[in-house]
Amino acid sequence: MRTFLFQGLVGLSEAMYLWMVAAGLSLIFGVLRVLNFAHGSLYMLGAYLTFYFFGLLGHNFWLGLVIGPVFVAGIGLLMERFFLRLVYRLEVAYQLLLTFAFVLIFNDLVKLIWGPIYQAPPMPPGLDSSLSILGQAYPLYNLFIILVGPLIALGLWFLLEKTRWGRLIVASASDREMASALGVNVPRLYTWVFMLGAWLAALGGALSIPIRPVSPGMGEIIIIEAFIVAVIGGLGSLKGAFIGAILIGLLHVYGVFYVPVFEMALAFILMAVVLILRPWGLFGTREA
Amino acid sequence: MGSKEVGRRDFLKYGISLVGTGVLGSQLVYPLDPVYAQTEKKGKIKDPIRIGAQATLSGPFGGYGQFMKMGAQLAVDEINSSGGILGSKVEIEFRDEELKPDVAAKNARYFVDDWGADFLTGLDASSSALGVGAIMGELDRVLIVTHGATEKLTENLVYKQGIKQIFRISVPVYQDGIAAAIVAKDFPAKRWVTIGADYEYGHTAWNFFKATLKKLRPDVEFVEEAWAKFLTSDFGAHITKVMAANPDGIYSTQWAGEAVTLIKQAKLFGVFDKIQTWMTPMGAAMDVLEGLGKEYPEKAWVTCRYWFQYPDTPENKAFVARFYKRWNKYPHYVSETTYSAIYAIKAAVEKAGTLSTPEVIKALEGMTLMTPAGKRYIRPEDHQAVYQVPWGRITHNPEYPFPTLTDLKVIPAEEYFRKPPFVEA
Repeated sequence: MRTFLFQGLVGLSEAMYLWMVAAGLSLIFGVLRVLNFAHGSLYMLGAYLTFYFFGLLGHNFWLGLVIGPVFVAGIGLLMERFFLRLVYRLEVAYQLLLTFAFVLIFNDLVKLIWGPIYQAPPMPPGLDSSLSILGQAYPLYNLFIILVGPLIALGLWFLLEKTRWGRLIVASASDREMASALGVNVPRLYTWVFMLGAWLAALGGALSIPIRPVSPGMGEIIIIEAFIVAVIGGLGSLKGAFIGAILIGLLHVYGVFYVPVFEMALAFILMAVVLILRPWGLFGTREA
Repeated sequence: MGSKEVGRRDFLKYGISLVGTGVLGSQLVYPLDPVYAQTEKKGKIKDPIRIGAQATLSGPFGGYGQFMKMGAQLAVDEINSSGGILGSKVEIEFRDEELKPDVAAKNARYFVDDWGADFLTGLDASSSALGVGAIMGELDRVLIVTHGATEKLTENLVYKQGIKQIFRISVPVYQDGIAAAIVAKDFPAKRWVTIGADYEYGHTAWNFFKATLKKLRPDVEFVEEAWAKFLTSDFGAHITKVMAANPDGIYSTQWAGEAVTLIKQAKLFGVFDKIQTWMTPMGAAMDVLEGLGKEYPEKAWVTCRYWFQYPDTPENKAFVARFYKRWNKYPHYVSETTYSAIYAIKAAVEKAGTLSTPEVIKALEGMTLMTPAGKRYIRPEDHQAVYQVPWGRITHNPEYPFPTLTDLKVIPAEEYFRKPPFVEA
């Protein structure tokens, strides 16, 4: 039982990176109706830029953590303003092609700037030890991640539910024409939402660097998982992304433990089951 | 900065001792066989002689590819600046095998069919080596594998199926599994577990380790296994799974960047406070030593396929010095194996006097070469180069900018290399 609980704790920390990526993916889809295939690349850019600023700013992890994701949000601004905006009215296939092009461009750009080899930045001081939980050593950093995840969820909830800006986003998401007619600057709002989504993915990447390897291609692995999470939770639902990420995180850990041969397939099976029983996802809204 | 100066001083130390022995300018890899079939000039056989090389060049494993390129480049430049192979220049091109057998096979076809390769070399993943090995009969060029370690390459493809075009210059998984068990039999550890790389290499190494150790120490138990796919970034689940079995020793086959990530995370999960021994066969690879640096636990026992401090020969010292001079780095094992493979090609072509594949195969079979890693004997039956590489324990040595090995265990190759006819383990 102790091991079971401890494994759950391990799964929770893995889930939080996934949540941050899936949150942005789902938010962007919910409002802009764009499936951003390059979202994993924004996670990767977050990791690389945070590592870069970490080195540039006297090895201060926290400073890197603040600046890196903001920088990526800036990249998000350029992506939305000059590229994505052009394909909103086109078929989904064009959006996928465009965002996939960004995946390739960002991957090669990262190889060009930082080289093809992985980087392994050190732990921020103060978080590089472990705590005894359930009689076993648990990395303090993982605990920190488990705290950050829900804090971000809380922040997003507050932003969308309690602020005027948030209500405008929700309004435009449900009826773009009506919001526009009421004087909301919808294009600008879209840019802001895309930047917020990019920032979330980049924050996930930034937070991953002390414990996970930073390498080209790291985005492609997480985008598939984040996509599964968003589909299970319901595309466009942040609550769904949060619960979905935790489900996938736990599924992975218990999969390794109890059904190792099958572990890779579990997430896909769960997604298939959800798609059959509730095609709009656990917390998504049924389209008319 | 301090570390760099140590390196330079060390290089000087090497340099001075080498000028003394006069070995610095001479060829470091050369055949020891007395008779040469032909060396007289009959005009150039083909210019340039092309070698198609494959390595993993990107991602968490990309460090290997970079080091392999350095070794290859050094050999090619040395050969070209001293007259080439029978007067012909050598040209080498690298492609990324991406740890995927189908990509590796496609690259091999490109090299032979489109680029005009006369030889193939490199290959990091065991699975990729098998993928290319399977089509070598059809491509009919000599392939010298310099890393991929599965025994099936030489035991099955060469010895049992007779694909004679395949050779391997690097120690196979006997190093990772059998030699590991011979070292582990002297440890008090009784309960062993593995965190394994979930593909050909990880499974085959663990099977050899289990079978050999059980024979040498009937009292040991193998109590848990956790397998991780390529590109795993969180090993928390695997670590907690094996730790739940209360192991004394952990045997892990992750390599390159994954070994760095795994060991970093294992430290955070307090693994090294609980277990007695950790073994990672490819843990002495230069990129892992550099990647973990001071964080590398001294409980870790590691090896590789060439360790730059072994053997203590003028050839090896000269190689390390030359490599350092050229790249400002100490050689990774794939640097040495690929360097030696290219010189083996040179020796074979000079002996055969032709590029004809059957002739070159004949020249390589049974050849004994002096190389930086010591004398290598290429067994005619399975085309495996026989030489030994020590196991050792990690230690933090202020003389080098990375951890090095101590308590070296040198087991003679005859004791841990499986021999034809390769009955089941």
